[in-house]
Amino acid sequence: MGTWIVLRRELSQYFTSLFAYVIAFAILLLTGILFNRELTVSMTVRPANPALVPSVLSFMLIFFAPLLTMRLFAEEKREGTLELLLTAPVQESGIVFGKFLGAWSYYTIVLLLTFTYQFILASITPTDIGHAFSAYIGIWLYGGAMLAIGIFFSALTENQIVASFLSMITLLILWLGDQAGLLIANIEVARFVRNLSLQGNFSTSFAAGLVRGEDIAFFAGVIIVMLYVTIHVVESNRWR
Amino acid sequence: MIEAEGLTKRYGKLVAVDHVSFSVQPGEIVGLLGPNGAGKTTTMRMLTGFMPPSEGTARVVGHDIIEDSMAARRAIGYMPERIPIYPDMTVRGYIAFWARLRGIRRPAGHVEAVLKRVDLYDRRDTLIRQLSKGMRQRLGLAQALVHEPEVVILDEPTIGIDPQQVIEVRESVRELGRKHAVLFSTHILTEAEQVCDRVLIINKGHIVAEGDPGELRQQLEPGTQLYVVIGGASADQAAALLSAIPGVISVEVQGEGFNVSTQAGTDIRGAVFAQVSAAGYSLLEIRAVASTLEDIFLNLVSRDSQAEGV
Ligand SMILES: Nc1ncnc2c1ncn2[C@@H]1O[C@H](COP(=O)(O)OP(=O)(O)OP(=O)(O)O)[C@@H](O)[C@H]1O
Ligand SMILES: [Mg+2]
Repeated sequence: MGTWIVLRRELSQYFTSLFAYVIAFAILLLTGILFNRELTVSMTVRPANPALVPSVLSFMLIFFAPLLTMRLFAEEKREGTLELLLTAPVQESGIVFGKFLGAWSYYTIVLLLTFTYQFILASITPTDIGHAFSAYIGIWLYGGAMLAIGIFFSALTENQIVASFLSMITLLILWLGDQAGLLIANIEVARFVRNLSLQGNFSTSFAAGLVRGEDIAFFAGVIIVMLYVTIHVVESNRWR
Repeated sequence: MIEAEGLTKRYGKLVAVDHVSFSVQPGEIVGLLGPNGAGKTTTMRMLTGFMPPSEGTARVVGHDIIEDSMAARRAIGYMPERIPIYPDMTVRGYIAFWARLRGIRRPAGHVEAVLKRVDLYDRRDTLIRQLSKGMRQRLGLAQALVHEPEVVILDEPTIGIDPQQVIEVRESVRELGRKHAVLFSTHILTEAEQVCDRVLIINKGHIVAEGDPGELRQQLEPGTQLYVVIGGASADQAAALLSAIPGVISVEVQGEGFNVSTQAGTDIRGAVFAQVSAAGYSLLEIRAVASTLEDIFLNLVSRDSQAEGV
């Protein structure tokens, strides 16, 4: 119950915030430009990549996801509403789930808007719908994991800038884990690190049209662990 | 409605609230009065379930705040010291959100009623960031009342607003007392005197005195003070005459007359009259000066500090 009420507030907050519109607009614009370029290429050089938009997003989200989550707890702390939330008859978990689901829903809506590109593509050239679909499922989970990481950093501080900066750094490191093979000589270790990176569970599977249980488990695992830790961070405000 | 038993809160070595016990009855307004850092906010934060007590517990409408926290929280309306706001929400959206979170499924009617009550109804679609300080204060009060809680806890509801609005807030607190049990904190003594049925004076985490404001005055007044004006005598003559009366502790010049402090339980008015006429002067004025809660408070707080050798 608490989850649903918090979710509703968060979602309406996104829809009344100019900043959230700017982020959505930026995502659509950038993916749109790259999509356009891909279309031009596909006329001449090679067939268009059906996973183009999700692949582009897998990098862009490093910078956009933290902007969507930085507010979630940092603002509540700064404005004192956290004290009121923690005296309302709801569990910390309800508050955290509500906020996470609010952010994820907003992201989902933006993601659905980029579907228009897929429709355009499909109407121009024959495309592998299954491939595109798997990439979208991947980037949807991928985004959820990033938002969960962002919400954790938002709960750590009352400064939104610090929250978004720390999440960007963390996401960048997790993203670079993909390149581990270039730095680490030992193949086993490199593979292990890669399996823990965001890209490592996306670029060669979902983005290639493969939906693998282990990748789904990875992103779901990141979400669950981060939300669990966040619940405890929020709870710790009672002791400070 | 509220029964606190040995509530204690330690921050590391500092004991912010030290075995505080008290109760608030239905329909009663109790003022928690104390200087900065006395432990008022900490006490309230424990009662509202924001932070667990280090020791002791309390019951709110019969629900233990530790064992049965959710039920206790549902019964409370809380206005924190710093008014919590969501700057980008409308007044109506904000109040409806808190109402829903506290279990009201269709809050529209409640929201309308409470906004009318705190006089923000015509501002219902304004963004909170555009409200003035005093309006935010009333918004804070509205969110505490919207779910019609049995117990209302207000942390310094009149701080930082203009005198006119202070009066309005005090009036609304008094009105609240008819339906709800109210615990509110303040460091303004006249406020406690005007608004409360009962006052708890807290200092350094201890309750140092308790009672209705009148009762407290009687209990704690060190003695009685009279203001006396004598005609036909020089200041020195009059002072000498007054000092000679048995039971008088001190005589101080105040304006054209004297402030005369006497031992508790002695009535020197008859003696003053007799002596003044016997000396051939005339008694122009004689009246009792009631010491304010302020005096009592300063007295208590300094006594408390002295006891600790501060
Ligand atoms: N989060 C905290 N961590 C450490 N010490 C704290 C904390 N909150 C309060 N204190 C200390 O506990 C004591 C009581 O503080 P409290 O806020 O309850 O006082 P108060 O009576 O509300 O004062 P005021 O009138 O200034 O609001 C103070 O000495 C304060 O420094
Ligand atoms: Mg305080």
